[in-house]
Amino acid sequence: VNLLMLLLFAGLTHATRSFVADGEPGSSGTSLAFGYLLVSGYFAGRAVSEIGLPKLTGYLLLGVAVGPPGLGLVSRPMVENLSLVNGMAIAMIALTAGTELELAKIKPLRRTVVGISAFAVLGTVVWLAATVWLARPLLPFFGELTTIQAAAVTLVLAIVLVAQSPAIVVALHDELRADGVMTRSVLAVVVLADLLVICLFALSSAAARATLGAGADVLHTLTVVGWEIGGSIAVGLVVGALLVLYLRHVKADAALMLLLTTFVVAEIGSRLGLDPLLVALAAGAFVRNGSQVADELHHNLQVCALPVYVLFFCVAGANMQTDALALVWLPATLIAVVRAIGLLLGARVGARLVGAPDVVQRFAGYGLLPQAGLAQALALLFSRTFPEFSAEASTLVLAVVTLNVLISPVAYRIALARSGEASRQHTDAEALQIDDAEQAR
Amino acid sequence: MRIRAGTDDVSSSCSRSRRPLLVLSCAFALLSAIAMCASAAPVASQEGAVQPGTDEDAGVEARGSGDPPGMQMTARPAIVLPPAPPAPRIAPIVDEPTAVRAEKAVAAHDRPVALSKTILGLLGLITLAYLGGHARVVALERKLGIAQVITSGFPFIVLGLLARTPTAGILTDELLAQLNPLLRVGLGYIGFAAGVRFGTRLPKGIPALRTVAAVTTAPFLLVALLSGLVLLLMTGDISTAALRDPVFVRDALILGTAGAVTAQSSLEIFRAVDPHGAVKSVLGFEEAAGIAGMAIIAAYFRPQTGVTWQLPGTAWLLLTLGLGVTLGVMAYAVMKRPQQGPEFVLLSLGLIGFCAGTAGYLRLSPIVVAFLAGAFLVLLPELPRAQLREALSRLERPVYMLSLVVIGALWQISDWRGWVLVPVFTISRLLGKRLGLNIALRVSALQLDSDQRLAITMAPIGRLAIAIVVNAQLLYPGGSISPIVAAVIVGGMMTEIIVQVASRQAMNDGARLRGVQ
Repeated sequence: VNLLMLLLFAGLTHATRSFVADGEPGSSGTSLAFGYLLVSGYFAGRAVSEIGLPKLTGYLLLGVAVGPPGLGLVSRPMVENLSLVNGMAIAMIALTAGTELELAKIKPLRRTVVGISAFAVLGTVVWLAATVWLARPLLPFFGELTTIQAAAVTLVLAIVLVAQSPAIVVALHDELRADGVMTRSVLAVVVLADLLVICLFALSSAAARATLGAGADVLHTLTVVGWEIGGSIAVGLVVGALLVLYLRHVKADAALMLLLTTFVVAEIGSRLGLDPLLVALAAGAFVRNGSQVADELHHNLQVCALPVYVLFFCVAGANMQTDALALVWLPATLIAVVRAIGLLLGARVGARLVGAPDVVQRFAGYGLLPQAGLAQALALLFSRTFPEFSAEASTLVLAVVTLNVLISPVAYRIALARSGEASRQHTDAEALQIDDAEQAR
Repeated sequence: MRIRAGTDDVSSSCSRSRRPLLVLSCAFALLSAIAMCASAAPVASQEGAVQPGTDEDAGVEARGSGDPPGMQMTARPAIVLPPAPPAPRIAPIVDEPTAVRAEKAVAAHDRPVALSKTILGLLGLITLAYLGGHARVVALERKLGIAQVITSGFPFIVLGLLARTPTAGILTDELLAQLNPLLRVGLGYIGFAAGVRFGTRLPKGIPALRTVAAVTTAPFLLVALLSGLVLLLMTGDISTAALRDPVFVRDALILGTAGAVTAQSSLEIFRAVDPHGAVKSVLGFEEAAGIAGMAIIAAYFRPQTGVTWQLPGTAWLLLTLGLGVTLGVMAYAVMKRPQQGPEFVLLSLGLIGFCAGTAGYLRLSPIVVAFLAGAFLVLLPELPRAQLREALSRLERPVYMLSLVVIGALWQISDWRGWVLVPVFTISRLLGKRLGLNIALRVSALQLDSDQRLAITMAPIGRLAIAIVVNAQLLYPGGSISPIVAAVIVGGMMTEIIVQVASRQAMNDGARLRGVQ
């Protein structure tokens, strides 16, 4: 039935698009894509969940299948025009992740988080740098670079390639209602890794520019990084305080207010050079740790989260550069494999060294595998910073991201199921029952 | 005083199940006839002097019609309106949105100011929301008679208007272009929700044909004639040719259609008791008449675009009907399966977006197509109606309010023509409602008490009326619809205030009467 519905909606969308001459989408194209992706995404999610895959893989696969490189039912302009939803989705996902960062629960995990971050994230940067360095003969853009220049660019690429995806991690946690020590450790690590990657990218790309003769303005680089990270956290705290004010004193139409806030964070934040993900994360964390309204915020986020998630991952799938994969499949596969091994081994070693629970040692590494938005954004930034060889290097990064996006959610879903932390999160109704029972006691 | 129920008006008998179709057919036929009469105009234009092109500076569509290729058919084709560039204010939302995503980063030295403005804006919003819900402020709003204006969402229109100003710099052209789907989905939502309401009420019985015809036709004609006259006077050309101009006829029909529709909140405002649902039924059919009007306008007055099919207006009308029914059936297939709450919301939103997008591709009205889909959907058996209603109510505030913000951003407030139209539109509408009800009371056995009469004659302009004119603006983005949108929005606010005053007066009279008794 799911496949039948998918075919039916695809057929109608194709028929509708054939009404317009030259396939010109018109201003209604985005609305059509919006509706089509929501409905079909739902059925794609159901179809893949029936064979034991995460629903978000269904959304991603649908995006790949009907996006510009696939059937083309959703054209490139439509995908670009849905990017507003993307920004809002990232802010919303980060806000959700923030509300799950309860310091009291994470505090006991700080050694685990630091251990995994150091060994898995930083360790994998080293592994990836070595791989890219050795794979230079397969990568033509290294041809004219001197050894120093090649080393600097290799380091930047390794940092871009190691980036994780808090969005996929949070979406999977939500979908499987996962909770537990491993789940919390993974979330904390991917958030910390996000900060780390942003800082390292800024510093290493400035150094690489210097080796390429563009000169390095250290002060400027530090200012930019400081503003992006420090400014984002500070603004996030203010946004969090505003949300607390609203949820405490107004309450009505909280879902509408949240949509508006994520919209402002996504749109204005990026224009101001802030990282919308960090802003929303800090806001969510402030609400969780500085007020009593975090559960209310979480509930209201869940009300409007599903459509945003579905659209976000469908668009991410449609944005995937499957054609890039065809061009650089060999180095991309090599890098993806090394990255996976580095993260899995690094997480296991790091967790063991700090004495983390067995479940963290065995499964936390899988949570670090997903890769999506941040790596894509850094690839874009990379191509702007290094226009000399932007196309080839971006192709490589996007090909690796494509592989990881398609495979890693499945791996992490299996890990969550095996760890026994899936279905541990309480629904609102269950939470209410537990509260009532506790009060009764 | 109260209730001699409209026995003629509402029948719960299933044996009358054919009457809804009859009434709908008659309503369609009436409006089709008007549009077909108007369709003589382009023939004259094609034969006579054609004035293609536009008056871009004034933002007014050129009168007259060209003869586009592919129009030489034996059947009478739909009126193809002359091409007109969109008015600058709405251009971002109707233009080809391919290259809109230009990154506009704020310069480093301007960031603190921009950031402060954003945070202050958010704080201001929260303060307004807090004050808006405060008991004292609500009491003051009631005292001033503006409570309904506030709750109807007009502040969101003003918010959109302010956010679009260069000083605020929030709703830029690029951002507005990105919000385009939201507006279309919002229009689709309004149509879909109206369709679900209509479809739910349909099996319960319908008002007499004469009643519906009287209460909808009188305001339609009066608004179309008087406001149309003002439109003509503003152009300074009152010749026969100007009267037959399809752009003028279309604009007058849009005004008339918007004037015929009434807000569903009317009964609550006048605290009218409606035990047999007579008034509700009449109001529901007014909505349906508005939808029919919009369907006919979109079918018979075709914007010149890249749609590959060139069909007669009646064929477009049938296509609209077929599309709505098809989407209703697909919606049924999707929604009949058991789902959890959030999934139902997701599917509702997706289906509404799909309806809006499909209609937009064919240059049909998303409101109409979504209305038909919604009405047909709820007529089918074994649908989880309670879940559907819950999903729609969850979506209502976010979708509607955000759409109003975009509508506010599109509002061309400086266009003096809109302000000239406001009093004419408002007064002719209220007069038309009064006249229509008087005729209905004479020609049918409709019996209403004074509160019920007030609920029909002094009814506020609903969101559907605003949606209809905004939809018209998207279909025909040339300048001449802008004053109509302004007239309906401001007319809506004015009517709300008049309605509040009238309802208080009615309550005072009622209290006085009870005191005397």
